[in-house]
This record gives sequence, C-alpha cells and structure tokens, in this order.
Amino acid sequence: MAEDLTAAQGWLEKIHALPLDQEVRVMNVCGGHERSLTQQGLRGVLPAKVKLIPGPGCPVCVCPEEDIAEAIALAMSREVTLVAFGDMLRVPINAAKGEVRSLAEARAQGADIRPIASPREAVALAAAQAPRPVVFFAAGFETTTAPVAAMLAEGAPDNLSVLLSARLTWPAVDMLLRADATSLDALIAPGHVATVMGADEWGFIPHRHHLPVAVAGFSANSLLAALYSVLRQKLAGKPFLDNCYPELVTPKGNKRAQALLAQVLEVRDATWRGIGTIPASGFALNSAYAHFDARARFQPAALPRRHAGEMPPGCDCASVVLGRKPPTECRLYGRACTPRAPIGPCMVSDEGACHIWWQAGERPAA
Amino acid sequence: MDEFITLAHGNGGVRMRALIERVFAARLGRPDTSADAVPIALPAGEILVTTDGFTVQPARFPGGDIGALAVHGTVNDLAVSGATPLYLTLAALIEEGFPLAELETLIDSLARAAREAGVRVVAGDTKVLPRGQGGGVYFALTGLGVRKPGLGLGINAITPGDKLLVSGPVGDHGIAVMFAREEFGLRGDVRSDAATLTPLTQALLAVPGLRFMRDPTRGGLATVAHEIAAARGLGVTLEAAAIPVRDSTQAVCEMLGYDPLYLACEGRVVAVVAPDHAGAALAALKAHELGADAALIGTIEAAPGPVVLRTALGGRRLLPELEEDALPRIC
Repeated sequence: MAEDLTAAQGWLEKIHALPLDQEVRVMNVCGGHERSLTQQGLRGVLPAKVKLIPGPGCPVCVCPEEDIAEAIALAMSREVTLVAFGDMLRVPINAAKGEVRSLAEARAQGADIRPIASPREAVALAAAQAPRPVVFFAAGFETTTAPVAAMLAEGAPDNLSVLLSARLTWPAVDMLLRADATSLDALIAPGHVATVMGADEWGFIPHRHHLPVAVAGFSANSLLAALYSVLRQKLAGKPFLDNCYPELVTPKGNKRAQALLAQVLEVRDATWRGIGTIPASGFALNSAYAHFDARARFQPAALPRRHAGEMPPGCDCASVVLGRKPPTECRLYGRACTPRAPIGPCMVSDEGACHIWWQAGERPAA
Repeated sequence: MDEFITLAHGNGGVRMRALIERVFAARLGRPDTSADAVPIALPAGEILVTTDGFTVQPARFPGGDIGALAVHGTVNDLAVSGATPLYLTLAALIEEGFPLAELETLIDSLARAAREAGVRVVAGDTKVLPRGQGGGVYFALTGLGVRKPGLGLGINAITPGDKLLVSGPVGDHGIAVMFAREEFGLRGDVRSDAATLTPLTQALLAVPGLRFMRDPTRGGLATVAHEIAAARGLGVTLEAAAIPVRDSTQAVCEMLGYDPLYLACEGRVVAVVAPDHAGAALAALKAHELGADAALIGTIEAAPGPVVLRTALGGRRLLPELEEDALPRIC
C-alpha cells in the first residue's frame, strides 16, 4: 500500500483517453497478474469496453489429476516423506467415495506430508532425516522449475527424489490462440516467467497470431502500462512485443537459469488437467538425472478412479483456465465450491481465478 | 531445582510447591499461595471481567513471547472496553519435559508486562500435562478491571457517518510469529506489535464522540470491520491508501499470498468516533509513542452490506469474512 501510484494514475488516464469503439478482450496469462489486478480493483476503474480475462497461468490448476493421485499413493504407502508447495495439498482428485481425495486428507490419515516454500527446504529435510526417502512433488512453471533444476544440478542427497509435474507456459498460450483465434484481442505476458525465459519467448503472439502482447510486472503501474501498450497496438493495428517490466525482464532472460533447466531436464509433450495433451509443454528429468525420478524409484500406483485425469464433474475449471468462462459463470462457484470445501483446483490455489475472485468478494448472482 | 518440568511438578507435593513458590510467586509479587481464594479491593465503578487462552507456537517470536502476550491480550480486552485493568489470574498448563529455565524466562516476561500494564497477578494454578499432550506451555488468564459507568461505549453506539481509526501498522504480529516458526525459511525485520493498549484507550476515552474500541487480534482489521457491519447492519468502507502497513510486512504478505488486513495485531486498537471528533481522536493517538503511525482509515456507511476496500486507484473490492485458517496459532 506504500506503492507510489502517480504513474499508474497517469496510465489510467491515458487508457481512458483512447478512442475505443468496440470491446477489447485482453487475456492476462499469469495468475499472479490476476491476483494483483483483482486485489487493486482494476476492473472497476477501467473503461467498460476493456475486458480483462484471466488465463492459464496457474500451475496448481493445470497440474494433472493423475500426478496428484500418484503423490497421494506414494504418501499413503508410508514409505516416504512427501513435500510439496502448500497449495497442492488441498487440490481434490476424482477419488471414489471413501477414498483419500487430497494430500491434506492423506496427511490427516497419518501420511507424512509437509508443505514447503522452496526446494532448499526439501534438501534440508532430506539431509536431516536420511536415510528415510523424501519425495518432492514439484508442480510449477518455468519459474519454480528452475530452482528445482538448480537443486538437482548442485547435488541433492541420495534419499531425495522428485515427482516432477512441471510445465512450460507459452505452449499452452499458443495452443489456446490456435483454438480460439477470434475470441481474444491482446495478451499480457507473465513477468516472472519472462524474467527466467526472456521476453522474446512471447514474440510468437504478434508474429504467428498477429495479436498485441506486452510483458508486465505485478504492480498497478506495470500492469496498466502493459494494458495501455496492447490497447494502443490494437488501435494502431500494429501488434508487436512490448516489455513493460524492463526492471527485471530482458529479451533473452536469465541465461544461468536456462542453462540449469537444459542441464537437468528435457522438454516433452505433457497433459494439462482439463485441457489435454499439449505438444512440448512439459519438463521431465533427462537421462543424466533420471536417478532422481521418484516415479522410477517407487513406481507409485494410483487407485483406479472414474473420471481419472478430468476436472471434477460439473466443474468449469477447464473453461476458466482457458478464459472461456469467468469464475462466476460456473454453476458450482460459491455454491458447492468454496475455498473451505473446494471442488475444482481453481478454487484452491492462490493463483486460481476462482479463489482470487472469491477472496475479493465476488459472489454468485443470487 | 530440576532442569525440566516433570509430572511430579503437578502432583501437589514438594516439587509443585517449589515450582509455584520459586518460579511463579517469586516473580509475581508474592501473591498469597496458601489460600484457595483471595479477596481483592476494587475502586468504585463498573466491574469488567474477561478471560483468554494463549497457545501461540512457538512460545517466543520476534518482539515478544507467550508470557508478555498473555498479559497484553487479556489487559487489552479490558482496555478497549473502556476499563482500567487491575487484576489478573493465571493458569499455566505445562508439558512434561519443558525446560525450567525457559519457563522462568517466560514468567519473567509475563511479570514485566504485568508491571508495565499496572496489573497484579492475584491468583493462579499450575498443571503438568504428560509429554505429547501439550504444546510446551499454555496460559489461561482472567482479567478484572473497572470503568466509569455511563461511558455509552459499545458496538451498538456506532452510527452511519462515523469514522474508523487504527493506532498503527497492521499485520506485524501475524508475520512475526510466522518468521519465528521458520517454516518458510524467511528472515526479516518484522517484530510483533504486542503491547499494552491502556495508554491509548485512556487517551481516546478523553475524546468526546468515542463510540467503540476493539483490538484487531485474530482475523485482523478486516474482521473487526465485519463484526461492526454484522452487529449494526451497516456498511463499512476502508481506504486502502490510508491503512498503515509496514513495507516489510507487505512484502512478506505478497510473497506468501496473505492479506495484512486479515493478520493479527496484539498492540493496536481500532476506534470508531463521531465524524466531528475524528481529528481529535487521531491527535490523541498520535500524541502517544504507541500511536505515532495512527491513521483515519474508513467510514461507517448507512447502507447495510459488505465491507468494501477502496483501493488506492479508486477501485473497489469486497473484503469477505475470513474463512480459511491459513496461519499458525498466533495468540
């Protein structure tokens, strides 16, 4: 709240001065952007013609149901200590009635599961309780995967392994734009991902899809600057890649982080929950680091489930993640599905649009 | 004496006697430990009583510990009710194996806080819980105070147009306890705001038009706003730009996805004052060191309804009632 908003006010005035004569639909790819702009009430101060649409940038939301089921099976075997980023603990899977439905439920039944905030904690825990196996259930995008790669490259304890569920952001956006070519007018690209991978990674949006794009940071100032940029581009009919987060984002990104990712991981086709398989959109451990793979070490076997891999029945998280529906249009939102008793992953994660909207007080129409 | 608390310290015998005399009575002004109940003298006025339990984990955190916190928490409930706190009773629930030196340190801290708050611990009890059945040490306190009758203070005195004030930055206590737990591997310069509020509440009592005071502990500032809205059927608008939040607290909140408006404070008071007297109330708070960063942060609205935060850019967002218990025990 100490943020100096003079510049942001300036961008807001410029946006209001733009001659927008039809609706402009702008997707903010990143869950962190959605959180920031919702918390600041930006939708309410923008011209009515500007529609901000939350996108797929929530790693918890797209983490495959099968991967969570594997993590639960591993933890319930009692042979390992499982660590994961806190958000993952509450995501429900489509388990049969009476079966364990989330890592939090597994923990309540006695499985050794601990929330962590960084890979360093996983290493410290493994070292402290060797030789008991510690499995790090690592779901995330490039930003959280780079530290995991660094952890393995620097040499992790033998009793530590990784259940990797890591994804690349841009292939999902590319797939989305191929499928929904006409429904979006512009995009705001994720600032943290671009910090690691470079702004240039988002050049495919103007080049291949002929849409405006700007990389933004997480302050109101940076978000509004990026929004002004893409609206100007749209009006001028000249889309290009703009960088409105130059404090941290360079065209080529963090070379060291990229080198670590390349050293430890390889890129493969991967499934996204509720979306399906997206080509070249996931990370896997490469052959030199395969011995850290928890799947190979323990061969977790999830219990058979109906709707395995899908979003829960009746849940619109897939449409929300793809920007096809706002959270409030899901029939479960705020009724059967709330942060206290979430059904879909978007209501669990701090980066999930449903959770963010709920926290900001959005309630379903009576 | 032994180095650790054992079950023998709770059996009513020699060791229990020694524990009570040497650890508790010696530090707490030697209350009468032989009587089953003690008489107390109370000045004229309305007598107020409050009770509170303290289970914070860990027992020590930047800026405080469970001993001082127990006094602050109990005394502050009396203070925000307009009372002058006078007496405390203390029940200590101690887990077998708790280090004696640590207990002594905590009781030292409790005694210091009581002296500073001008209250006396007049009665007490100790129990020892078998290992594994407690969390180190828990305190349960009852507080007694006296206030001038007819103050007209209370949540029902709040009317539309009234102004909300807060006596200083919010959220520090919640973040300080989180640092102490080291679960997030975080380090920072945030310290708990835990303090006795009596000097501030007494200063506010001198301001005409004071309607209501409350300390925003569990659930934080947003929860106090909800309590007002629910009790009175009125709306509350808070101004984000006016609410004091330390940069370091804000930074940690952004990193972990917490909202400082929902984090506990243990040394802040929220006051509701008639609009004509809001300036005087703010000046009264700012005149005291504890209230140096006090601010006028919101307005009571006639329209019933939600608690609204007006963001610095003029946007609005609703502040829903707290539902998730994202935080460790903090009081």
